[in-house]
Amino acid sequence: MFMIDELGMLAQGVGHFLNLTSLFNIAWATLLGIVIGMLPGLTATMGVALLVTLTYGMPGDQAILTLICMYVGAIYGGSRSAILLNIPGTPASAATSLDGYPLAQQGKAGYAMGLATTSSAIGTIIGIFFLAILAPALAEFAFNFGSYEFFWLAVFGVVISGRLTGANDPLKGYIAGILGLLVAMVGMESLHAYRRFDFGIPDLAGGIDIIPAMVGAFGFAEILTVMRRKLDAKVITSQGRTIPYFKDVWKYRRTAIRSGIIGTLVGIIPGVGEDIGSWTSYAAARRASKEKEKFGHGSYEGLTAAETGNSAVIPGALIPVLTLAIPGSTAAAVLIAAMFIHDIRPGPMLMIENPEFLYQVIAMLLFTTVAITIYGLSLTKLLVKVLSVPREKLMPVVYVLCVIGSFAISQQIFDVYVMVFFGLFGYVLREMKYPMAPIVLGIILGTLLDTNLRRGLALTGGDITPFFTRPVSLVLCLISVLAILLSVPAVNRLLLRGLRKVGLAQKQSSDAGV
Amino acid sequence: MEDNSNRLIRADLITGIVFILLGLIVFYLSWNMSRLEIRGIHPSTIPGLVPMILGALLAFSGFLLTLRSWRLGASFRLKGSLLPLHITEESKRLAVMLVLTLGYALVLVDWLPFWLATALYLFVSIVLFELYLTSEPRPLMRCLILAGIQSVLVTLVVTFSFQELFLVRLP
Repeated sequence: MFMIDELGMLAQGVGHFLNLTSLFNIAWATLLGIVIGMLPGLTATMGVALLVTLTYGMPGDQAILTLICMYVGAIYGGSRSAILLNIPGTPASAATSLDGYPLAQQGKAGYAMGLATTSSAIGTIIGIFFLAILAPALAEFAFNFGSYEFFWLAVFGVVISGRLTGANDPLKGYIAGILGLLVAMVGMESLHAYRRFDFGIPDLAGGIDIIPAMVGAFGFAEILTVMRRKLDAKVITSQGRTIPYFKDVWKYRRTAIRSGIIGTLVGIIPGVGEDIGSWTSYAAARRASKEKEKFGHGSYEGLTAAETGNSAVIPGALIPVLTLAIPGSTAAAVLIAAMFIHDIRPGPMLMIENPEFLYQVIAMLLFTTVAITIYGLSLTKLLVKVLSVPREKLMPVVYVLCVIGSFAISQQIFDVYVMVFFGLFGYVLREMKYPMAPIVLGIILGTLLDTNLRRGLALTGGDITPFFTRPVSLVLCLISVLAILLSVPAVNRLLLRGLRKVGLAQKQSSDAGV
Repeated sequence: MEDNSNRLIRADLITGIVFILLGLIVFYLSWNMSRLEIRGIHPSTIPGLVPMILGALLAFSGFLLTLRSWRLGASFRLKGSLLPLHITEESKRLAVMLVLTLGYALVLVDWLPFWLATALYLFVSIVLFELYLTSEPRPLMRCLILAGIQSVLVTLVVTFSFQELFLVRLP
């Protein structure tokens, strides 16, 4: 099977964007993304959320193009400040600073940035490869999904996101998910057009809009966090060669490929994003490396793993977005909202109603990969200047953009209040170590969960057996239950004891309290 | 650090109780939601179904959180208040930021025309943070003039670009 059809559609997708307007949009959106990613305190999710408003008036394909360029640019841009300031510009670049900053201290800042650029490009391309193969297959598989499957998918998404992002404290992750789901319950429900939790306030009857909520939780809350800290780091100037030697890139090709695959897989998992992709790739690379000691002291391999891993997440996150309308990451959640705004309906039907869209998205990713490579390898010195903008001037301006952004979609001042509320709410929760991703997943998937549960029950007349007997539903249900069970410490202890008895786990010399 | 984790445990205890209450309230409200019998819908598709489940889950999770914090000794460390008594640099900045941002979004934007509210907010923010809340205050006159120019400039750019270039309506 030569996939001639698919290649043809890909060529069409690429051709679709080979015009002046698109290229112009790619240029400025990617650059803006890189700048936003570089500046600590501005994250990819925030950038995408704010850009949704700006691009509201644009035609759908151009709007999504700019959003994807912003997304890719921002995730890449974080590596700059990670390397030069030891402060990750976005959470996704935290692992990059581990080896990037030591390299900068050794005078190899430019080279590190070049390596980060090529790694990001390679990571995105690996992700694109999987997107192209898996998305159509998954869409076809999901075509037979009914209400039961979608219900469990929504549950699975929230549970897995809560479990994996609330790393040290899954309970807080689950609570975050429940809170997000509850937010989605406000407003008119779609089965009987009944208004829930509106307390007589007409604004609430329309439900809580996702974009102002995201702008608040990821914009305003982040601004508060940044302004509170007192940090003023010195920027290391970069000198020397930027473009990496081919041998360095080739030497770590296995690491790159491994990290790319890991990143894509992490991206596919709902609500688990670039930061986890980067950390997991880094840890895996270190474990498999022949140069373990170098990690943390300026290892090219570590840097490659981190940057390839976080960039591969983006196409991976788009797989569930396009085929199931389930976000693979928080920025992907904003993309889903943006698609709906522009009348593109992600989900299994997308491949039937609008099959070119997948290939257009792939083309968008390819174009922006080229853009970050060009910008990354050429504009080093210029971009570094951006880092010297003082926060006191920048954050208030970003806040103004948040206010405009929340207002602009529906022209309601209520949305600004929503933004403020979620900003405060998000800030407090963040300070108490609650993860934000499950909240976002809850808000996005809440309606899906609710409607499909009740629709399924209506179809069977109240009988819940199909929820547990249909094969896909059963699998999703079991995984969710398993995830929850494994996060209970008591269960883990029992399991460990059992495994030790059978000889599958090592005996620990000091069994603390087991 | 020790103090921080103590505070977190205490905060968890309180939030746990809050979640229990919130969960119970949500459950109660959903229980009382109309069952829409007039329309003859199936009882398992009532609008309140999922909120009820979520309310119950929230209350249960809150209970677990409270239990865990209790076990970790939160109640015994109730001496010393939850909020830091000493005003740190950090909390000052946070408070100022809150007043400014909330004032802008909730009051100014409604009251004054958008460009005026924005320019004012930017000006006050920059001045306050550069003059008073920093370890290296800039010379007064220079700071004021610079801040003034910058706020007006940014307001113009933002207003113009959003309204004309991106066709976005401003509050």
